[in-house]
Amino acid sequence: MTPYERILTVPPSPAFWVAVIAYAAATAALLFALGGKVKVRPAALGLVGLAFIAHGVDIAWRGTLHVHPAQSVREALGLLAWILTGGYLLASTRFRLTLGGVVVMPVSLVLLLLARLTPAGGSPPGPEGAGDRWQPDIDFSALGRVHISLATIGVGVFALASALSAIYLAEDRALRRKKLDGLALGRQGGAPLEALDRMSHRLIWVGFPIFTLALVLGAVWTSRLGESLDRIEYPLALVTWLAFAALLVMRQIYGWRGRLAAKLTLAGFAAAIAVLLIYLMRRM
Amino acid sequence: MSELFVVGISWRTAPVAVREKLAFREEELEDTLRAITRELPVAEALLVSTCNRVEVYGVARPDQDATAAVRAFLAGRRGLALASVAEHIYDHRGDGAIRHVFRVASALDSLVVGEAQILGQLKDAYAVAGAAGTSGPTLGRCLERAFGAAKRVRTETAIARGAANVSTVAVQLAHHVFGDLRGKSVLVVGAGKMSRLAARHLYTSGADRIVVTNRSLAKAEALADEIEGVARPWEDLEALLAASDVVISSTGAREAILTRPLFKKVMKARKRKPMVVVDIAVPRDADPEIGELDGVYLYDIDALERIVSTNLSEREKAAEHATKIVEHEVGQFEQWLRTQGVVPTIRALRDKLTAIGDAEIGKARDALARKDMTAAQQVELLQRTVQLVINKVLHTPTTALRAADPDAAAHMAAVVCELFDVTPVEGEGRDSASALAAGEVPPIIPMHPAPEEKSAP
Repeated sequence: MTPYERILTVPPSPAFWVAVIAYAAATAALLFALGGKVKVRPAALGLVGLAFIAHGVDIAWRGTLHVHPAQSVREALGLLAWILTGGYLLASTRFRLTLGGVVVMPVSLVLLLLARLTPAGGSPPGPEGAGDRWQPDIDFSALGRVHISLATIGVGVFALASALSAIYLAEDRALRRKKLDGLALGRQGGAPLEALDRMSHRLIWVGFPIFTLALVLGAVWTSRLGESLDRIEYPLALVTWLAFAALLVMRQIYGWRGRLAAKLTLAGFAAAIAVLLIYLMRRM
Repeated sequence: MSELFVVGISWRTAPVAVREKLAFREEELEDTLRAITRELPVAEALLVSTCNRVEVYGVARPDQDATAAVRAFLAGRRGLALASVAEHIYDHRGDGAIRHVFRVASALDSLVVGEAQILGQLKDAYAVAGAAGTSGPTLGRCLERAFGAAKRVRTETAIARGAANVSTVAVQLAHHVFGDLRGKSVLVVGAGKMSRLAARHLYTSGADRIVVTNRSLAKAEALADEIEGVARPWEDLEALLAASDVVISSTGAREAILTRPLFKKVMKARKRKPMVVVDIAVPRDADPEIGELDGVYLYDIDALERIVSTNLSEREKAAEHATKIVEHEVGQFEQWLRTQGVVPTIRALRDKLTAIGDAEIGKARDALARKDMTAAQQVELLQRTVQLVINKVLHTPTTALRAADPDAAAHMAAVVCELFDVTPVEGEGRDSASALAAGEVPPIIPMHPAPEEKSAP
């Protein structure tokens, strides 16, 4: 059995199903907490923790079967969801991010389901003239793995920054509409706007160099594979990079922050997600 | 029997002009409480004196009404004729008093329903009563249950949620934007009374620095002295705005002074760091358009009052649920209180039965010490001792049942059946009561067979 065939035949572990149930239950519990059932919140965070652990066990279990978490884009989606959940848990230790959880948990769940249950598809046709030398985008070279790993971590960090930006925009809107007791700010009080803005900015500082390195390695990898650069995901990846680069530069020089920065963060992240989805669709 | 009572005045019955005459200073409380329990028919007392109420919570001495005496005492203690304040003073006794204490602790009787201060004030008053030695078991239990009810009300209902005044909304708003207010700077534009309250509230909530600016520097300095701030000249307004995180404006200007062009420059200078602008002036000091700028959160007096009004109406709705909780807790306390009436009886009964048991056990021990007994003799002695205890315990009630007239005997017999959980054996057409009255009392403690009999083949 080739490594490619092996990946297609590795089924989800029992821990995967635990993670799925925990993600769904955590989403429901966080919704209750957001609706005013404050006492449910600790249990909801407990479920998030359980989902994170079970998800991690599933990734490790696949590792024992020689499936690298960044082996392919499909596999990397699972890793991305895990990073997202871990980041949310970490941020929740400092702030009440009930609304953020209601957004992040379903996203993690969908990413995990996409990573494990979507049809893996067959080997896509290679470029014309590549013949037997061509490998599908599941590449087992060190360069491919490092590229996908870094890109996944970078996008994961951007995803966290984007979640915080989305919460920022929701809270900003509530404050402007004078809805101090609305869902965004909530009875438990959301995270302060200034802190959300600051944390999102710091995350972009962390994610940007990782993502930049991933892009460079990706370019090298692509040139080694002899692929043409006219695929749509390449300019989209560049849009992501430019959006976050602009954010860092403009904040440094002109003090861009607040709503504008949050919207640009979401735009950059949307481009990154589009790249991932295009890869995924191509594999199906 | 001792009865709980409340005597006092509150914002409901008396204007501040009357309340301030009857108010007690903190250092007067202990002496006053001691005087109440010393001079009046009051066994336990607590005095709560706040800006909204002056009330004595107490327990009257057995079978005495203390309320009239406490009314006269309160007026006399403040050098007032009772007639001059009588119409403002109310009193409650028994269940009404208990309900009042619980409602006060739960802030259901407060001017602003759900406010948090009254619970702390009651706890302080309870501590003072403890220090004065005027708090007893009944009042103590009542207060502790009332504190428990108040805690339930605060955690299980929305009664304490949402800011209940304009300055609290300003603080809440600043918390939403900045979180911790440490290191934040507050600028007070104008020297109005409302801005003074809001600035002070922000300062006590952790804001580091308060700067006051006004067209008249002298007025700015006067206000700055009052709220521990710093006065700055009006000409520095733009620079002051750029350096401030929260702006409270309440000038008497006829036209907007916080304009969009000014704020565009200010936001650029502060690199678009967020800023909360609370405009409590009428006419408004802030151009509504500045609220559209990124990073500027503008609340005018209408917005603030709308929030306060919504919160207060939410509190009123929550008060219905809170009242149910209070009623439940009052019921629990009343039940406890009712049981306290029979405690001396239970204690006396226990003492008497213990004395009977001790006497018979002493005799049995003497008998055992006098001669060697076989096992069968020891069992016989034990049976005899138990029978003697039963006879002595039942002698008085049996005699009373026999001596009572038939109606009273029937009632007493029914009580005995209920208390001892026994069912009389019906026989020969006589009812249980008359059977009991005739002394045919079935054994209440069943006699077990002796061990030898039990083991005999």
